[in-house]
Amino acid sequence: MSNDNNKDNSCKKIILNGLLNKNPILVSGMVIAPVIVLANNFSNAVMLVISFSLITFFTLLVSSFVPKSIVYTIRIILYTLIGALVYVPAVILLKYFMPDGVEALGIFFPLFITNSFIVTRSESMFFRETKGKMLLDIVFCIIGYDAAVLIFAAVREILASGTIGGRMTGMPAFFRVFERPFGGFILLGLFAALFRSILLLVKRVRQK
Amino acid sequence: MNMLGNIIMTAFTAVFAENIIFSGALGTSTLIIVSRSRKNLLGFGLSVTYITALMSVLTFFLNKALKIDENSYIYAPLVYIIILGAVYIITLLCMWRFAPRMFGRMKKYIHISAFNCAVLGALFLISERCETLGEYFIHGLGIGLGFVLAVYLTAIVYDRLYSEKAPYSFRGYPLLLVYIGILGMAFWGLSGYTLKF
Repeated sequence: MSNDNNKDNSCKKIILNGLLNKNPILVSGMVIAPVIVLANNFSNAVMLVISFSLITFFTLLVSSFVPKSIVYTIRIILYTLIGALVYVPAVILLKYFMPDGVEALGIFFPLFITNSFIVTRSESMFFRETKGKMLLDIVFCIIGYDAAVLIFAAVREILASGTIGGRMTGMPAFFRVFERPFGGFILLGLFAALFRSILLLVKRVRQK
Repeated sequence: MNMLGNIIMTAFTAVFAENIIFSGALGTSTLIIVSRSRKNLLGFGLSVTYITALMSVLTFFLNKALKIDENSYIYAPLVYIIILGAVYIITLLCMWRFAPRMFGRMKKYIHISAFNCAVLGALFLISERCETLGEYFIHGLGIGLGFVLAVYLTAIVYDRLYSEKAPYSFRGYPLLLVYIGILGMAFWGLSGYTLKF
């Protein structure tokens, strides 16, 4: 009974970490570049999360089979090589179904191969946890990242051009500065601060 | 004189006007990871510069072969990663053999300096913008030095960004993003135009 409870708590912790407490973009600062440059409208963000999720999930899944006995130096190369191999079918598939979307991603699509999430996650998680927990962690980290990117892009689009998904929202004023990378940095910084405040508030309420 | 002017302009553009972090955000996550660890930031920046400069030269020759096939965009990243992996291993072996103390200091994070968005992104940017071997090298070197500049500008304010005097919600990572954004705005003022990604 106690083992079952521990197992449930551990899974709950992994899920909450991926979605909230260690959210890859709002807390840990991973894979920021495409968000800063490309996520200035909702349609770009949708394309970004699809390509990120595809490459990251399958790369980490295959990388989990890389044995620990291989020297660390070589393991790192193998992870990125796996990423580059996963990129091949991913780009063919997405180019077939969403050619304009792939064009919009530009150089950021192949850059997902060396994204910091793959390089750091593969080493920090694989050799400490079971395969099941590792998969749970990857899935919920990706969901956490995707959700944060979509919300961020929607707010950024509203602020920068007064539209959402290309449709007018009736905003009285908008600020083009948020379309630029530096605007993206500032807005993401504000998002991260707001997110931390909300987490703190929730923690205090639960303690009471 | 014209050639010297071109070299200076290419280097200036790569280091300042189109700084890889402040204008393109490439390698920001790596910068955050490294700034948190606070270990030999300058050494890390220089190793990124070395790898970017060396890889930019190799990319020039690779691109000559890859340009023959119009579908090379599908497997070009794989080719870049294989060459990058070879450069990484050769560099580690050379350091281990000829500079063991440096190898001891850098072995924990040299992999992050080789396999990150800044290096791979630099190769894609250079491939799009440069034509001659000289341009490839100067641009690659400039991008690496631009990364060093970004690392330095982050390192000098690190204590303030993570200070307990800063409000808890903004302390550390959020403040770092806002700081990079403000610097990015200043650097953008040097160019005044949009990057073509």
